[in-house]
Amino acid sequence: MVQPAPASPMFWRFNPEVYRLIGMKCKDCGHITYPRSKICPACGSFSVEEHKLSRRGTVHTFCINWTPPPNLEPPIVNVIVDLEGGGRYQGLITEVANPEEVKIGTKVEMVLRKVMTDRGLKIYGYKLRLLEEG
Amino acid sequence: MAGIIGYGVYVPRYRLKQQDAAIPWGGFATGEKSVCGIDEDIISLAAEASEKAMKHAGVDPAKVGAIHIGTTSSPYVEQYVAPILAETLELRSETTMIDYCGSLNSVAMALLGCLDAIEAKRIKCGIVIGTENRATTAGSAGEASFGAAAVAFVIGTGAAIAEIEGVHTYSTLFTDRWRAVKDNFVTDYFDYRFDREYGYQKHVVEASKGLMGKLGRKNEDFTHVVLPQPDARLPGLAARDLKVKPEQLAPEIASALGDLGSCSAFVSLAGVLDKAKPGERILLVSYGSGASNAMSLVVQSQIDEKRNRVVPLEKYLGRKEYIDYTTYLKRSEAIKRAPY
Amino acid sequence: MRGKVAVIGVGMIPFGELFEKSFQDMVQEAYINSLKSVDKGIEPKEIKAAWFGQWSGGGMIGQGALCGASLASMIGNREIPITRTENGCPTGSDAFRNACLGVASGVYDVVLALGAEKMRDKPGVESLIAAGGGGGGILGLHPSWMLGMGGPVLQALYATRQMYELGYTMEDYARVAVKNHHNGTFCPYAHYRFEVTIERVLQSYVVCWPLHLLDCCPQTDGAACAIVCRADIAKRYTDKPVYVLGSNTGLDYKDMWNKHSFIEMLSTVRAARGAFEMAGVKAEDMDFAEVHDCFTNTELMNIEDIGFCRKGEAARRLKEGEFNLDGRLPINPSGGLKAHGHPIAATGLGQLCELFWQLREEAGERQVKLKNGIGLQHNVGGDAFGVSCVNILSRAM
Repeated sequence: MVQPAPASPMFWRFNPEVYRLIGMKCKDCGHITYPRSKICPACGSFSVEEHKLSRRGTVHTFCINWTPPPNLEPPIVNVIVDLEGGGRYQGLITEVANPEEVKIGTKVEMVLRKVMTDRGLKIYGYKLRLLEEG
Repeated sequence: MAGIIGYGVYVPRYRLKQQDAAIPWGGFATGEKSVCGIDEDIISLAAEASEKAMKHAGVDPAKVGAIHIGTTSSPYVEQYVAPILAETLELRSETTMIDYCGSLNSVAMALLGCLDAIEAKRIKCGIVIGTENRATTAGSAGEASFGAAAVAFVIGTGAAIAEIEGVHTYSTLFTDRWRAVKDNFVTDYFDYRFDREYGYQKHVVEASKGLMGKLGRKNEDFTHVVLPQPDARLPGLAARDLKVKPEQLAPEIASALGDLGSCSAFVSLAGVLDKAKPGERILLVSYGSGASNAMSLVVQSQIDEKRNRVVPLEKYLGRKEYIDYTTYLKRSEAIKRAPY
Repeated sequence: MRGKVAVIGVGMIPFGELFEKSFQDMVQEAYINSLKSVDKGIEPKEIKAAWFGQWSGGGMIGQGALCGASLASMIGNREIPITRTENGCPTGSDAFRNACLGVASGVYDVVLALGAEKMRDKPGVESLIAAGGGGGGILGLHPSWMLGMGGPVLQALYATRQMYELGYTMEDYARVAVKNHHNGTFCPYAHYRFEVTIERVLQSYVVCWPLHLLDCCPQTDGAACAIVCRADIAKRYTDKPVYVLGSNTGLDYKDMWNKHSFIEMLSTVRAARGAFEMAGVKAEDMDFAEVHDCFTNTELMNIEDIGFCRKGEAARRLKEGEFNLDGRLPINPSGGLKAHGHPIAATGLGQLCELFWQLREEAGERQVKLKNGIGLQHNVGGDAFGVSCVNILSRAM
C-alpha cells in the first residue's frame, strides 16, 4: 500500500491540526476531540467549535515498543497525554535516554520534531518531551 | 532605528566529543560539538528558538511582517522552510517568508534584509532565524567540528532591548569553504593559513573598520566584540588584527558546541545579551564566503525588565548527553542499514 | 433473534503457519468440512446466501480487494448472493451475525458464513505491521500521531493502565498464556500445542512493554465456516442443532485518544450487553466462553467487560482457577487466540466452531461441563479496538 506523500491533499488539510493544534470542542457535551470534526464523536451533536489544544500535559498511559516498524530505532515510547485544559494527544516521546523515566503522571510538553521523511520531504509534528524542572 | 525586541536560542542536548570523530581517521581534535537528535533538524531547532524569541519579545504574531531564515543546511534546494516556521508561529499569509541560503553569511543577510524592509517602511516588525545542522561525511574535518543550533531575533521599531545603530558590509570574491551541488559535504579550507588571513581575518577587520569609520566609533567604545567562531582560535587572531582586547571578545563557545556555521556569531550574541547591561555597545561581525557584515548595537534598559523571560544560552550549554561515534554516523546517515 | 436461528454444521482447518496451503485451499477445505459436518447431510445448492468474512482484503496475499465473487468461484457456487464483510478483528463473528440476520429476517432458509485469512505469506514482521497498520501515515491520520502504532502497542497502552489502576502484574498476564497454552494442547485445531510456564513467558523478549513475545497471539493462517438455518427446520439436518440466542455488535471511538478509559473497552461492554438483552439471559448463565485474547491482558479485560466479574477481579479469579477447563467458568477452552491462533477473519468463526462442538459435547479431551448448555463467543478489534461482536449460542432453543 503506497503511503500518502507529504505533498498530498491529506497532509495539507491537516496543517491546522499538526502545526496549530486546532481541534474541536462540543458545545453540548464539552467533549474535546482532535483532529477537527463537524459532528461530536461523543454525543453526535452538530454544535461544535474550534478548540486549540494546550501544549502541556501529563502522561495518562504509555508503552515501550522494542519492535517498531523498520526505520524506527527502538525503543520508542508511545504515550497518551491528558492535556491541560482538556483533551488528549497521542504521540511519541522524544529526548529520553532511559524509557523508564516515563511514568503515568509524568509532565510533558509538546515540541516540534521531524517525524519521518518520504521522497525527500520531511514530515513534522509534535512529539512529547519530559518537562524539565525549573 | 530598528532594534532587537526579543531573542531566543536553542541547542540540542546531544554532544559528540570532537576527538571521537577525528581519531578513527588519524586526526586530532579537542572540545565537543552539539548534535541533533534523530528526530531533529534545522526546522525543529528553529521552531524552539523562534518560539522562545516571540515569548521574550511579547509581540503579537499578527504584527510580524516578515520571517527571514538564514541557513546553509536546508534539506531543500527548491522549497523554502520559512512557511513551516510561519505555521508554528501562526503568522499571517501576508508575511514575507524567505530563506537565505548558500553562505555562512546567510543569517547576517537575513537580518540585513529585515532591517531594509523596516527602513523602507514595508514592515514594522520581523523575525530573523539562524539555524544550522550541516551535513558531514565520514573522515572530514567538518565531521569533527560542525555543530547544530538555532537562534532567533524579533526585530522591530518598538521598544528594543538593543538598538541597531549601524550596519556596514564588506565583500570580495574570495573562496575558502564551498559546497557544490554535486557534493553532500563542505570542502574545507584549501589552506588554513591563506584562508584565515586573507579570508576571515581580512574581511572581519575591513567590515569592522568600515563600520567604525561610518559611525565615528573606536575600538574602546565596544564592551563586547562578537565574531563568528569556526574554531577557538580565529576570533583571537582577528581581534589581534583589529587591536581589540581579549576581554572584549564574547565568551568562547566553539569548544563546547563546535562550528555553528552561519548562526555562530548570532548564537554568541544571544549569550552576550543574556548578561549585557544597558548602555553597553556591541560590535557584531559575521563572515562567510568572502562577505562580511558588521553591526553596532547599543543595549537598552528594556533588557533588564525582560530578562526573567529569557532561557539563557548557559542553560543549553549545561544540558548535555554524550553519544558515541557509531551513533553519530547513523544519525548523520554516513552509514545506512541494509533494507530489512 | 432467539428462536429463529440455528447452526447445523461447522467446519474448519487446523490453524497455523500453513505455507503449503493457498488462501483458496484453506477456504475450500473449511467449506467442505462444514458440509460434511451436517449430521443428516446437506446439498451445497441448499445454501441460498453467504457472507464472506475477510479482513486484509487481499493486501497480505498480493491480491486486489476481495469481494463476494472470490468466494463464489472458490466454493463453486455463483448462483447465490455473497457479500464480503469486514469489521476489524470481529470480521468472522460479524459475518456470522449477518448470516443470522439473513435467516432471522425470513428471506433465506439456509445460509453460510465463512471467514479466512492468510497472514504468513508475508514475513512475520511485515505481517505484524500490516495487521497493526501503524507503519507511517495511514490514510486519514497523520504520522505524528500514528507512527509506530500497531497491535501490541494499542494493547500495551491498556496493559500499562491496568497495572496502574487495578494492580495487575506481568505475572497475572503471563498466567493467561499458561492457561490457554494448556488448553491448546487438547485442541487438534490449535496453532500452538505446547505448554508454557509463567517464567518462560516473562523471559521471552519484550515486544512492547509491558507485553512479552509470549503475551501476544501469533500470526496465523486459517479458515472456518458455519452453516446457519431457520430454527424450525434445523432438525431436518441434525438432531442436535445449536441455537443462536443473541448476536450483537458494539462500537466505540475509532481513536485511542478519545477513549474514556484504558481499563475497559466500551465496544465489548456494548456488544455483550446488547447480546444478553436480545438473548434474554445474563452473564451468570454462561457455562463457558471464548473471548478475544489477542494479548494476555486483553483476556482479563474482556472477562470483566463482558460482565463475568467486577472490574479488577479477573486476575485473582484466574489465579484461583475459576477460568480453567475444570473451573467454574472455563474461558477459551480451545486455547484462545493465544494458542489457537488469530487468522483475523477466521478467528470468530473458529470460536463459533468451538461453541458448536462444546455444546454438542463433541469436544473430546477439552470438553467443559455443561449446566445450562449456553456458551458465549466474543471478539474485539478494529480501529483502536472500537468494534466488538458477541454471539450467544445454546443447545436448547
